[in-house]
Amino acid sequence: MQHPVLEVKNLTKKFNNFTAVDNLTFSIADGEILGVLGPNGAGKTTTIQMLLSVMEPTSGEIFYFGKPFKKHRENILKQINFSSTYISMPWLFKVSEILKIYGMLYEVPDRKKRIEKLAKEFEIDHLLEKQFHMLSAGEQTRLFLTKAFLNYPKLILLDEPTASLDPDIAIKIREFLKKERQEYNVSILFTSHNMSEVEEMCDRVMILNHGKIIAHNTPQNLAKNISISLVELLITRDQKRAIGFFTKSKIQFYQERFSFKIPIAEKKIAEFLTGLSKDNIEYQEISIEKPTLEDYFLQVIGDTNEN
Amino acid sequence: MRINVNRVWAMIIRYTIYLRHNYDRLTDLFYWPALDLFIWGLTGLYIAKLSNNSSHYLLIILSGLVFWIVVWRSQYEITTNLLSEMWDRNIVNIFASPLKVSEWILAVMVFGFLKTIVSVSFSAILSFIFYRFNIFSFHWLLIPFILSLLATGWAGGFLVAAFIIRYGMKLQTLAWAGIALIAPFSAIYYPVSVLPSWAQTVSLLIPSTYIFESIRDILFTGTVHYDKLVTSFILNAIYLILSLWFFVAMFGKSKKLGLSRLI
Repeated sequence: MQHPVLEVKNLTKKFNNFTAVDNLTFSIADGEILGVLGPNGAGKTTTIQMLLSVMEPTSGEIFYFGKPFKKHRENILKQINFSSTYISMPWLFKVSEILKIYGMLYEVPDRKKRIEKLAKEFEIDHLLEKQFHMLSAGEQTRLFLTKAFLNYPKLILLDEPTASLDPDIAIKIREFLKKERQEYNVSILFTSHNMSEVEEMCDRVMILNHGKIIAHNTPQNLAKNISISLVELLITRDQKRAIGFFTKSKIQFYQERFSFKIPIAEKKIAEFLTGLSKDNIEYQEISIEKPTLEDYFLQVIGDTNEN
Repeated sequence: MRINVNRVWAMIIRYTIYLRHNYDRLTDLFYWPALDLFIWGLTGLYIAKLSNNSSHYLLIILSGLVFWIVVWRSQYEITTNLLSEMWDRNIVNIFASPLKVSEWILAVMVFGFLKTIVSVSFSAILSFIFYRFNIFSFHWLLIPFILSLLATGWAGGFLVAAFIIRYGMKLQTLAWAGIALIAPFSAIYYPVSVLPSWAQTVSLLIPSTYIFESIRDILFTGTVHYDKLVTSFILNAIYLILSLWFFVAMFGKSKKLGLSRLI
C-alpha cells in the first residue's frame, strides 16, 4: 500500500484558551496539489509551521511518507522544502552564498549544477552576486522558490508563492510548478489569496476558518455548491419594459445604464429567458457568469462568521 | 544523538560569511580588543611608573584583558549568532531544514572557538609588540586556561541564548550585558581577597575566578595550583551541562509557541 506523501490526523494547536488550529485531518497524495485557503487568522500559517517542525502541535499526528514526523524529523525534512514570503534571508549575503548554505544544509549532491539550473529557471541567474537586501520583493520571492526546490523535494509547502510577483513571472512560476509535478511527481501544498490561481493549480482545495476545515473538495465541486449565477444583459431599447418585467416577476436586478445584472439560480435561467422573449423584450448581448471558487469562498466564510 | 558534520560545517560557513560582510562583527574582533589594550596597557604602564616601576600592575591588566577575551568572545558568539538569525528573519529557514539543534550548538561552539583563537592571538601579538607581554610564557598551561575560560563563556552563552530563544529580541541586551555580570566576581584584575565576604562566596562558584587566580599565581610566584584548575574544570562541566540542558529546554518551549514569532 502506498502511503500518502503527507497525512495529518487531528492536528490541534492551542494557545491558552485560543484554538488556532482545531482538529485538522487531511492528506496529500503523490503528485497532488492541495490548495489551502482561508482569511487572515484562519490557521494556515500555524498549520504550515507545524508541518515544518518550527511549532509543536498541542495534539495530533503528522506523517510524511507513512512515517511519524516527530521520530523521523531530520530524514523527512531532507525530502521536503518550503517557501514563504513572510520570512526573510540573511540581508548582507549574496544570493549565491545563500543558495550555497542551503545547498549544504540540505546536502544537495550536485549543488553547483542544481543552483545554476534553478537560478536559470527562476530567472535569478543574473542576481547571483547581488546582496539579498538589494533584491526587489519579486526577486526575493524567486530566490525563496529557488531555495525551496534545491533538494529535489518530494513535497513542497508554498505559502503565497506568487505574492509580489509580476504577472508574467507569476505565470512562469505556475508553469514551472506544473512541470515539476508532471516530471517528478512533486506534491505541493499551496496557500494563496489569488483564487483564480488556486482554481488553476490545485487538484483539491481545503478552506479553513477559525482553525477548522469548513470545506474540502475539488475547486470545481466547491464552486458548484453555489447555485446562483450572474446573468448580464445589454438592453438598449426596451429598458422600461424590462424593468416592468423584472418587477412583475419579482426578479432582483442591478442596472448600470444599458447593463442589467441579474443574480439568478442556474436552473431558473431558461425560464427567465423564455419570459423575456414572451414579453418581446430584446437584449443585444447576454453573458452568464458561472459561480467561481471565490464566490464559494466568500459565501462559506461569511456563513461561518455569522454562525 | 547523531551529528551530521556537513550541516555543522554549513552553519560555520554561514557565520563566517556573516562575519566577512558585517563590519560590526569585524570591529568586535579586532578594533575593541586593540583599543582596550592600548588604553589599559598604557594605564598599567603609568601605574607601574607611579609604583617604583613594578611591572605587576601591567602584567595583571594585560593578562586580565587577553584572557577575559576568551570568556567574552565565546559567550558573545553564541548569543549574537542566534540573534543574527532573528535579525535576518532567517531562524525559521534554518530550523525548518534538516539541521538539528545539537548541530547548531556544535557549530556556534566551534565557530566561537575559532574566533576566540583569532581574537586572542591578535591581542597577544599586540601585547607582545607594545608591552613585551608574552602569553606563551605560560607554556602548556595556556591550553587548560583557554579551555576552561572557553567553557565558562559557552556556559554563560547558552544560558543567555536560552532566554533569548524563549523571550526573543526584547532580551537581546543580555547578549552584551549577560556575561559582564560575572566579571566583577571573576577576579580578573584583582585577587578574590579584596572582594567583600559575600562577593568572595559568589566568586568561589565562578569557574573563571580560579583561572585568573592561577594566572596571577604563576606571574608572581611561579607556582601552579592544580587544585584551582581542577575546581574550575569541575564547575565548568556542571555549568555547561546545565546551560545546554536549559537551552534545549527553552528551545523546546519556544517551539511550542512557534519560532516564527521571534522574527
